[in-house]
Amino acid sequence: MDVQTDLLVVGAGPAGLAAACAARSCGLEVTVVDEQAAPGGQLFRNIETPLGQSMLEPKEREQGMNLAADFRKSGVKYYPGTTVWGLEPRKVSCNINGKPVILKPSTTVIAPGAMERPVPFPGWTLPGVLGAGAGDIILRSGGTLTENPDDPVVLAGNGPLLLLLACHLIHSGVKVAAWLDTGYWSRRLMAAPLMPASLLDSPYLGKGLGMALQIVKGKIPIVSGVKNIRAVGKDRLEKVVYEVLGKQKELYTGTLMRHEGVIPRTHILNSMKVEHAWDSVQRYWYPVVSECGATSIDGIYLAGDAGYVHGGDASILKGRLSGIDAARSLGVISDSEARFRSAEPLAVLRRMRIARGFLRYVFAPNPGIFDVSDDTMVCRCECVTAGDIRRAVREGHTDVNEVKLYTRCGMGQCQGRMCGPALAEITAAEVSRSPKKVGTLKIQQPFRPVALRSYCDVNSLK
Amino acid sequence: MKDAPAAGSVTITVDDRELQVPEGITVAAAVLGHAHAGRTYIHPVDNSPRAPYCLMGVCFECLMEINGEPDVQSCLISVEEGMIIKRQLQHEEVN
Repeated sequence: MDVQTDLLVVGAGPAGLAAACAARSCGLEVTVVDEQAAPGGQLFRNIETPLGQSMLEPKEREQGMNLAADFRKSGVKYYPGTTVWGLEPRKVSCNINGKPVILKPSTTVIAPGAMERPVPFPGWTLPGVLGAGAGDIILRSGGTLTENPDDPVVLAGNGPLLLLLACHLIHSGVKVAAWLDTGYWSRRLMAAPLMPASLLDSPYLGKGLGMALQIVKGKIPIVSGVKNIRAVGKDRLEKVVYEVLGKQKELYTGTLMRHEGVIPRTHILNSMKVEHAWDSVQRYWYPVVSECGATSIDGIYLAGDAGYVHGGDASILKGRLSGIDAARSLGVISDSEARFRSAEPLAVLRRMRIARGFLRYVFAPNPGIFDVSDDTMVCRCECVTAGDIRRAVREGHTDVNEVKLYTRCGMGQCQGRMCGPALAEITAAEVSRSPKKVGTLKIQQPFRPVALRSYCDVNSLK
Repeated sequence: MKDAPAAGSVTITVDDRELQVPEGITVAAAVLGHAHAGRTYIHPVDNSPRAPYCLMGVCFECLMEINGEPDVQSCLISVEEGMIIKRQLQHEEVN
């Protein structure tokens, strides 16, 4: 294979595909690598199969199918089944179908997308407890969430995916016993003054209202002000226990899907020490990048929801902008041509950002969700509990990296992806500070597990 | 004679049980949503039963043995005709 290329795109979701197509149409040689077996990322998962297309609403389906078709026609080199584990300017280390390779691109667009905010609670490691995104993937894979399709499921949390999942459940005829809302009402009310701006993006607003209407029609019982959710069972989930207005309640179910919003995937840029900023409403870190996705490191761009979560259609625009600017930076198109090509996506993206400002408040995570009991397992890999973390903090460790060294929280194979946000929130709460003040886990390369043999092979070490 | 798989589906084996699943889906989605296997591995640190949680490559709770290869992140692998999948219900003792 040819390891040299003008542009390497990491990730074949909406942003990555759009970046690749835009750069290719400017005349760049482009290579795309992606973890999954087919293009589409999370939003457009299985977009090339009838099953994958069936769950998307018509406009989104058309957008996804067009994007995948353009990508297939574009002449971009595409390596699915690829895990990238090391990245620096002009040197990207990865395993392509298990075979280690170092790629040498002139520029790189990183588009790893977003992930569900992992929020620990007692019993969340029990089989039968899933992220809402995972539940949705099962439905979109033609599967059922329970062995007996008549068994009810329970939803819990607060965030955009829960709305979408509820609609998909209604559509699939699944009974939802309850939606346990953990939302943050004081923040939700702050969204009101920003609502009029949402008219700038009326199809999007219409989509949201349409989903809400379906849920009302679907008669899903919504329970507000839910606290202290617990999953209980011996070898798998048997019931969900929770509190409302100080009273304890329980629901018997074999499937609980929790969702507390969506956060950018920041591991790659963190490992490169790119500056990140803290969003105090959404309570996540996001990398500081220009409007076209340029990072502080020359030749490294970031596109899509990994920069800030604006949604899939915004990711397509961000991808296009980064692809165009990569071509400009390599001198393949002129500054004025780049301006011309960028004008439309940039204008639409700016309008979307204003129109969606209210969502930042509507779906703001409630800090109370991290106030979990001491016996709650926070780090699923190393089995570190909230009590272990609090004990370390009380002994004087107030930076998350110190707590990590002391407790092993974040040292497992997911490399802190599942426990990092909760580790910071619990540490911060224990010292009555903002999570912004307790540091972030230092991410080292390789940022994905890789066999020592693979590492040595490509780095000429014996 | 075995029936040929229906169009758009593939036959896989999950712990000696054969089943037909749609093509294009991931192993983890097939094991959870079609085989309804419940637990898929026993955690080596605390011996608790676990199952895939995120299905998008983040959590590492979906490790399974696929065609003889252990500890594969099964949410990143698509099902293929004849694929042999085993849950990892016992972990090897480290000497």
